[in-house]
Order: sequence, then structure tokens, then C-alpha cells
Amino acid sequence: MSSTEQGTSSAAPAEPTTAPESAAAPEVPESFYYVHGKDKVVHKVSAGALQHSALIHGMISNLGYTEEQAKANPFPFENIDGDILQMVVDWCNQHKGKPTPPEDTNLPKQKEKLFDLVLAVNYLEIKELLTYCCKQVAMMVKGKSPEEIREIWMIPTDAEDEAAEKEAKKRAGKEAAGETAAAAGDAK
Amino acid sequence: MPIRLLSLPIDDLQYTLNCMDIGDLIAFSLCSKRTKNLVKASNRKMRPIEVYVKENYIRFEIREGNDYESISFHIFDFYIKLIRKEFKVWRKREFTQIDWIAHFISIVNGSMIDYLNIDTVSLSYLDAVYQFFPKCHRLDINERSSREFTKIAFWKLYPIAEKLDINKNIFDNDENDISKYLALNLTELSFIDWQKPFKLELEDLLVLNIARLTISPTNITEKELNRFLKLWMKGNHKFYRPNNIRLSLRNLVNREEVLRGVKYQIVSNRPQLKRADGKEVLITIRGRCVTFNFQG
Repeated sequence: MSSTEQGTSSAAPAEPTTAPESAAAPEVPESFYYVHGKDKVVHKVSAGALQHSALIHGMISNLGYTEEQAKANPFPFENIDGDILQMVVDWCNQHKGKPTPPEDTNLPKQKEKLFDLVLAVNYLEIKELLTYCCKQVAMMVKGKSPEEIREIWMIPTDAEDEAAEKEAKKRAGKEAAGETAAAAGDAK
Repeated sequence: MPIRLLSLPIDDLQYTLNCMDIGDLIAFSLCSKRTKNLVKASNRKMRPIEVYVKENYIRFEIREGNDYESISFHIFDFYIKLIRKEFKVWRKREFTQIDWIAHFISIVNGSMIDYLNIDTVSLSYLDAVYQFFPKCHRLDINERSSREFTKIAFWKLYPIAEKLDINKNIFDNDENDISKYLALNLTELSFIDWQKPFKLELEDLLVLNIARLTISPTNITEKELNRFLKLWMKGNHKFYRPNNIRLSLRNLVNREEVLRGVKYQIVSNRPQLKRADGKEVLITIRGRCVTFNFQG
């Protein structure tokens, strides 16, 4: 299993403390957690950066891991591609402890990845990043005609929708018939 | 690179639709029945919609909740022209003007449009307009239209409107037929023509069946208004529908003449008449204008 240390490398050493309570309290060493995606590449991320994700934040709060335990048990997100998780980790690090601006210029520009990114961000419950991503998706069709929108967003025609619906009904009917036959077999 | 928008989780999809401007949202609604339903379900808040009926096309003016910049759609027979920073033409197979209009009305939250302005169009087209717009809040027949056209348009279209604005004196003062109009069961009617005053008589006010009436200007006299008030006072327990009559006279209103011999009290600096059955009328006289507010 390889490892990158995104959290530590991108954090500026002279960065001022951003949490208001830490200004008065003595400095507490930052804790780090580990996550990996489908590609098993482990990313080290600070707890501060991970606070953007309601899902991971909830997991951390419930587990109470020590640094060693966290290292030994990276959070697995097998449904997220490695490069997408990398984008998410980068974004969380860049926005660690900062108020999120109304427009985010740091958002990944690759449109082909945008869809996967929306799904990942939705799963990880990163509200601000999801907002930016959805805006970016909306911008893809700015000023476009219905035909162009259909192409960009791969919207099926009414005929295609009807065919898919028929197919789904047929499949559901077959499955129901199969279940009934199996139940009858069990009864015998 | 395309993405499958409709495969997004519903919340994300909804949020994406919320991020789109109204022109893009309407384009999206035209992609398929499914996208139309998504736009309808998004309940996008729009400001009251204005529609202008011309001979060759119908113009929709749409504004977003807090956006003062409007988007115009010119709906022709087989295509629509979107007017934003630049012109765009959209077509949809098998869509005619009535389909375009039905589509627009269905996605803009309900079947009622706020303002319908009718320019001079062919009489046969007026029947089509009646079919296109089953209801509108305010109908305005353009002042540029002829007297004849305005009359015909009024009689064809008044059933679809809650409020009617007629900006031309359509009556021949020798054969005054204004009472036919005033006896209609309408919520609000406004006759305005500063070039040609409207002939109005006491009898016309007595048959009035419109909740809110404005006539500017009218040649009714203070003496007739005084008689009207006296008759209203005598009409105990008699139903009188109007709750507001606003009349602009040709000259400054003589308050004493309007109120001569009428018993009234002053409420909020204005004369108020009260009938034995509890019904009241508050009278405002300012310059050339008299307003009767009926209550109770």
C-alpha cells in the first residue's frame, strides 16, 4: 500500500491558527487520519481538513482513534476512484479552517471528472464542495439550446425513456414470476 | 465531455437546476417529458409573467424572483426565438404555437399568467388567444387598437380575465352602451381615455356589478353623484356588489355639491355615510377624483 502525505505537505508551516478557541488555548498538536479510495493509495489528512466532510467527521467523532490506530486503519472508500479522492483531499486541505468563498476558483477543471466528483462529494457529505460542483455542472449548459443540453447531459429522448421503462417493467415482471415459482417450489 | 445528469442523486440534480438561470432551465425543460417534470417539480420562483399578443407571434416576458433583467421568448408557429444578449432560435418537432404556450404555462407554476396585453390582431386569432390562455390576472387591450377591435376583443376575452384595462373610449356617446359593460360580473375594470371622456350616468352606477371600477375621465356631474349617494342611503338591505368606485371628473370636484343634503360623519378626515343596515361608504375627494369605498 503506497502513501502520500497531502495533509502535511500542503499545510504552510507559518500558517496562523484559524480556530478562534485555539488563539487563547495552548497549541494542541494536530491529529491526522488516513483515507484511501479504489486504488488503495492512502492519503494522510488532518482532522481540520476532514471537518469539511460530515461523513468522515461523524466517523472520527465516534471512533476516538489514536494516531497509531488511525494509521493502521485508514478509512476505506472503495466506491471512490483514487484520482477523485485525491481531488477531494486537495480541496479539503486548501480550505482547511477557512471560510469558503462564494466562488471557488480551485475547483477541478476536468469536466469528465465532474460527474464522479459530484457523486463522491455527495457520498462524503461535503456541502460546500457539492455546491461548487453543482454550479459547475449548471455552467456547462449556459446559453445552450435544448438539443445541445441533451447532448452534454446525455438526456434520453421520450422514446428512449419509454423503451427503458418498458424494459424495466418487463424485467420486474420476470423477477416477480421467478420469485413466485421459487416460493411455490419451496412450499412443495 | 458529456455527463449523465439524470443519474445524479435527486438532491444534487435539484441543486444543479437551482443554479441554472431561467433561460437555461426552460431549454432543459424542452429536452424531454422527464426534464419538463423535473423543472415543474423544482418550483422555481418567478416574478409575474407578462404576455404580449402580436399578429405574428406571442411574446413571453419572464423575470426571476430578484432579477430585474427579463428574458423574452417570441413564440411563432413552429419555433421560438429566445432574446437574451443574443438571438437564439429553438425548434421542437411537432410543436406548434399552442404546444409552446402550454409548455411555458405548465412550467411556470400554474396556469395563470399575470398580464396579457393584446395588440391589434386578426379576429380569428382572438379565438386562438382565448384557447391559448384559459385564465389571466390582468387583460390589457392596447390603446393603439381601433375602437371596433377593442370592443370585439373585450367581448371575446373578458371571461378569461380577473382585471380588464381598456385604454380607449369604445362607446359612441350618442348610443351609450356602457351599462352593458358595467353590469358584467367582473372583479376589476378600468376604462381610461384622456382624449375622450366617458359618458356615465346615475343609472349606470346603479346597475354596476363590478367589484372595482375605475373610469378616467367621465362627464358625470356632482349632482348625479349626490343623487347616487342618496339612493344608496335609501337602499337598506339591498345588495350592491361594488366595493370600490374611482372616478376622475373633467374638472375639480365640488365637494359641497356631492355631499349636499347627505348626513355623514368624518372618519380619517373623510366623509363616511352609514346606512341603517350597517353598510358604509367612505368618500375620498381629491382634485378631480372621487373614490367611493364600500364596506360592510
